[in-house]
Amino acid sequence: MSSDIRVVGSGGYVVHVDICEDLTMECVGRAHRLYYAILRELSGIVDEVVLGTTSLAVYYDPRRIRASDLIPSIRRVWSWAREVELGELHRPRRFTIPVLYGGEHGPDLGSVARWAGLSEEEVVRIHSSRVYTCITLGFTPGFIYLGEVDPRIAAPRLETPRVRIPRGSVGIAGKMTGVYGLESPGGWRLIGRTPLTMFDPRRSPPIPIAPGDEVVFKPVSPEEFSRLSGVFVGEYSS
Amino acid sequence: MSTAPKLQVVYVAGLATVQDLGRRGYRALGVPVSGALDRLSAAYANALVGNRTGYAVLEVFGSVRLRLTVDAVVAVTGGYPRVVVEGVEVAPWTPIYCRAGSEVSVVPTGRGFVHYVAISGGILCEEVMGSASTYVRGGFGCLGRALKPGDELGARPVSADEVWDRVRRVKPPEEVVARSADPGDPAVLRVTEGIHSHLLGDLSTLLTSEYTVTPESDRMGYRLDGPPLVAASKLGRLPSTPTDRGYVQVPPDGKPIVLMADAQTTGGYAVALHVVQPDTDILAQLRPGRRVRFKLVSLDEAEGATSRYLAELENPTLKVVEEEYWT
Repeated sequence: MSSDIRVVGSGGYVVHVDICEDLTMECVGRAHRLYYAILRELSGIVDEVVLGTTSLAVYYDPRRIRASDLIPSIRRVWSWAREVELGELHRPRRFTIPVLYGGEHGPDLGSVARWAGLSEEEVVRIHSSRVYTCITLGFTPGFIYLGEVDPRIAAPRLETPRVRIPRGSVGIAGKMTGVYGLESPGGWRLIGRTPLTMFDPRRSPPIPIAPGDEVVFKPVSPEEFSRLSGVFVGEYSS
Repeated sequence: MSTAPKLQVVYVAGLATVQDLGRRGYRALGVPVSGALDRLSAAYANALVGNRTGYAVLEVFGSVRLRLTVDAVVAVTGGYPRVVVEGVEVAPWTPIYCRAGSEVSVVPTGRGFVHYVAISGGILCEEVMGSASTYVRGGFGCLGRALKPGDELGARPVSADEVWDRVRRVKPPEEVVARSADPGDPAVLRVTEGIHSHLLGDLSTLLTSEYTVTPESDRMGYRLDGPPLVAASKLGRLPSTPTDRGYVQVPPDGKPIVLMADAQTTGGYAVALHVVQPDTDILAQLRPGRRVRFKLVSLDEAEGATSRYLAELENPTLKVVEEEYWT
């Protein structure tokens, strides 16, 4: 893998940066360093910065700056950001997310267990015994991409996506696990659901989890699931 | 001031939502920009009634009938719909003085696909994350859903004198009204190469073929039918990258999807091309069955076109109408 980044202009108002080709947590760490460094150094010049899993996009107003000037600026930021620790740019917080695994809330727990050749209980134990890193947020409001899933339970996404997934559903897709912030379509294998409200459009910010933050899952009983229903993710303490 | 409703929804056939120019600054949380599909038309609707261009307007696919509860200036833009006020047909793209109690109907014609209704003062509705744009999938912005008969919307108060002052003899430039006028020819959408063009290789299929807008198109994306880009099927799924309005995604079936106002913020399909922002407005006005072609332009040209477009969205140019055309 090349250690250099690919920086290209697109559409007349976006500069796209590929940090590396394969989704590894080492690559994700590089992406996070560049993301926070750009926010710190270039936020007066650019409109928005959005992270993919191994890439990022810098949105700009071509009346203020052109890609021909922005691309060298991003490369200059990268020349020092690649060397620093993430902690110098962003202090990660840790969030605990209670999950009711299996049953109606985790309709794919069985298929993940079969894929893994393990019992459902073992899948739950393995899934809930790691500290995950928030890779990014996206495709829909408040969806968090987390990594890295233990390879023993890293089952691939479904062949055919579901049309409707309830908000709070927790899924696995290969190396990543994630939580659906709002009801949406999606193809991840659903193994459980959190009772927490993950995304509240009327709060500021609507979700407190940021790229680089840590997330741990805590199995809960159906009674706890009911008791915690609707608690905001930023206000839950285990 | 009174908080009484200013605009009542009497009838809707199709999809009507409240939109402004979009929700900026929250893409990093997965929140789509949303906003008007044809932003230039929304900006001109506001300008014609003397509003700031970022005020909320009604976006209508299909037909709608509204009742005003105050004297107001109304303008309808978008394509070239039939507009009827109290039984009298009036022109779109023109400020219309309406008395309290008036009913305003908007009915589609063959020209255009999505229409905008602005009211003097601008629609006042719940803003979340700085915008009243309705994101129906997320259930937030204004009422958080499509409008239905019986809904009532507020507007910023405008005094009676001010309403009169706003009935000005102005019109937009012809080329703005005519952007999607001719249904016979394919629309030409300017594009730059997309962020995955280097992985897809030869893009000539996309750049030399004609594509047809399909009925599966919606505010999230316009799906096109035509010769598939075969290289996309070999790529399969890619690591999720940021995506935006104008990105031309090519899923493994090779048929392009142009992401639109409610575009997801990240996606895993290959992005072959990127439609320049002013031309996404033109695409918005193409109903299913209409045809498009892509035309490659340089990044410089795309930046120039985007700059002019952003300036026009902030400050639309209205021309004074000659006396003889004014009745």
